[in-house]
Amino acid sequence: MRPLALRGVPGRSGGAGWRRLAVPALALATVAAGCALSLATGGRSDVGLSDLSGLFSGAGATLAEQTMRDIRLPRTLCAMFLGINLGLAGLILQAVTRNALAAPGLLGINQGAALGIVLGLVVPALSGVPQSLLAALCGLVSVAATFAISGAFSGRIESLRLILGGVAVGALGFAAVRLGYTLEDDLARQVVRWTVGDIGGVRMPEALRLGATALFATLAAVALAQRLNLMALGQAASHGLGADPMRTLILGAGVASVVTGVCVSVAGPIAFAGLIVPHLAKALAGADHRRLVPVTAALGAGLMAWADAGSKLWPGFAEIPVGVVVSAIGAPWFLVSVLARKGRSHG
Amino acid sequence: MAEVSMAQAGSRAPRRTPVVLLALGACLVAVLALGLCLGAVRVPPATVLNTLLGLDGPRQDFIILGSRLPRTLLAALTGASLGLSGAIIQSLLRNPLASPKIVGINSGAAFAVLLCAFLLPDAAARLTPFAAATGGVVAGSVVWLMAGRLALDATRLTLVGIAVGFVMEAGVEFLLVTQTGPEFSAPLVWLTGSLWGRGWTHLASVAPALGGLMALALLMSFRLDLQYLGPQRAAALGVRLGLERGLLLLIGVLLAALSVGVVGVVGFIGLMAPHIAARLVGGRHRALLPTAALVGAVLCAGADVAGRSLVPPIEISAGILTALFGAPFFIWLLLTESRRPGATR
Repeated sequence: MRPLALRGVPGRSGGAGWRRLAVPALALATVAAGCALSLATGGRSDVGLSDLSGLFSGAGATLAEQTMRDIRLPRTLCAMFLGINLGLAGLILQAVTRNALAAPGLLGINQGAALGIVLGLVVPALSGVPQSLLAALCGLVSVAATFAISGAFSGRIESLRLILGGVAVGALGFAAVRLGYTLEDDLARQVVRWTVGDIGGVRMPEALRLGATALFATLAAVALAQRLNLMALGQAASHGLGADPMRTLILGAGVASVVTGVCVSVAGPIAFAGLIVPHLAKALAGADHRRLVPVTAALGAGLMAWADAGSKLWPGFAEIPVGVVVSAIGAPWFLVSVLARKGRSHG
Repeated sequence: MAEVSMAQAGSRAPRRTPVVLLALGACLVAVLALGLCLGAVRVPPATVLNTLLGLDGPRQDFIILGSRLPRTLLAALTGASLGLSGAIIQSLLRNPLASPKIVGINSGAAFAVLLCAFLLPDAAARLTPFAAATGGVVAGSVVWLMAGRLALDATRLTLVGIAVGFVMEAGVEFLLVTQTGPEFSAPLVWLTGSLWGRGWTHLASVAPALGGLMALALLMSFRLDLQYLGPQRAAALGVRLGLERGLLLLIGVLLAALSVGVVGVVGFIGLMAPHIAARLVGGRHRALLPTAALVGAVLCAGADVAGRSLVPPIEISAGILTALFGAPFFIWLLLTESRRPGATR
């Protein structure tokens, strides 16, 4: 009953006002708690949040403070930036395809980008090219292929075709990745660990690279926000209001695949984060992309920080990669969102 | 009755069927022969013949009889099972894009096998086929129940199948990374679908079950023609739809799951074989099913032979090759099927 009343016309402004304060506060609290937990957990139990102070006082002399500076902090930052990047990539893709099931992992971008990196490792001629660039390029090619298959370029995007196209492109990319590491013996174990999304070994340079990408993703998403809002009105309406839907589609897919490519080059393909985060953000903040962008970024950072903490808290010897934690949450989520589509039209 | 089903289901001249079957049989024999000759060590055909027939002269008993023969036969047998399974599943679901992989059977079987390998490492080798069958049937049932049972909404069923597959794959990932022991690499090879290291024991463990299921499926093949008429007309002809459909679906799922249990996830054969078969002999199931089985056998054995003879010291898993060819095939299907009116058959 309550949601109904909130959505009613008279109660609307009151509800929105309440939400306008509560949602950012809640999101920020989630992020902060996740970060704290992610920073406080790890292989060494003697390193805790208190060692953070060493970073600011400039001491950094003790082993604990060095651990915090060189291992824990980059890892937590990486997790957060990954969340921002993947969440925004998913948000943009869902908007430009007008399809709630679109996400970097489901459209084959992840596997395509992974293929780019394996190509860089296996083909000698490509060894000088930066990994991020190769990953972004191959991600771009994959999403273009998926869109072409699902008919996105002719303006008609069905969920089923989009997902099947993504599955096919992803399967092809993944088979090629496996072929790559079959041919290159030593890679296998390393690549497998990496293909499930692991940020156990990241250092500051990777964190900074992801940070720069997160900045780019946020700026691009803010710049695109109005166009994304228009997309929601449909092809004809957005055309009528002066936004070329095809241009928005291409711009959005380009931004999403570049951002995803950089993420994959650092952490491997992390599936489902790009699917869940925008959904949560929409449930909390409504449909306006100008508000969705910051909320998605915050929730993405929070989710990944929590997932990172969770991956370190798993009982036992082996630490499980953060990508597996996200998959374990995201795959059932995907199942539920597919089941929830019952009776709705597939458009 | 036969005329009705022909008009409904297919168009090509059924007289071609024996010729096609013979030609495919010849193909299969050729692939099997190549499988015995090629590999890390090339064995001349004369030596292979001597070894097989137990004649005097140069012989290679260990390589030919101990390793390549069971392996190649196993590839053909599982390929045939996958092809047959794909044909049954596609027909029952009336969805040309359906396949064991798409409806979650592969991932379910994979998850169950890994679970079994990690929980009961000692008994794993013997239990693997049973674990795979259980996992496949469970995943298939879950998809079937969640998709609204026999409502047969192809879109919904496919999406639910993919979603359940993702959940199972998340489970597989989880199992893989929480294990750090020496048993790490075996499941890995198995997950990419490889016949590496498969021998007589593996063949013996699944051959009776797969053979029986295939025979049953072929016996029931004309029942599939009736299913194809649609629920009302089939019921009017006295077919007990629910029971038969359930039985056929179970056979299809078991064929795929048992194959996955013994050779791992060799994808896309269940998708490709029925389509190739339908191009060759049309849609009548009495012709389609055996043709699909033979095509599947040729594809799988061919992928295995190619995998171990393309870059000799290194062996490329059969599953990698079938995916490399199967994914573009799937894309091509996706592009062409939907342009036809009545896309979901």
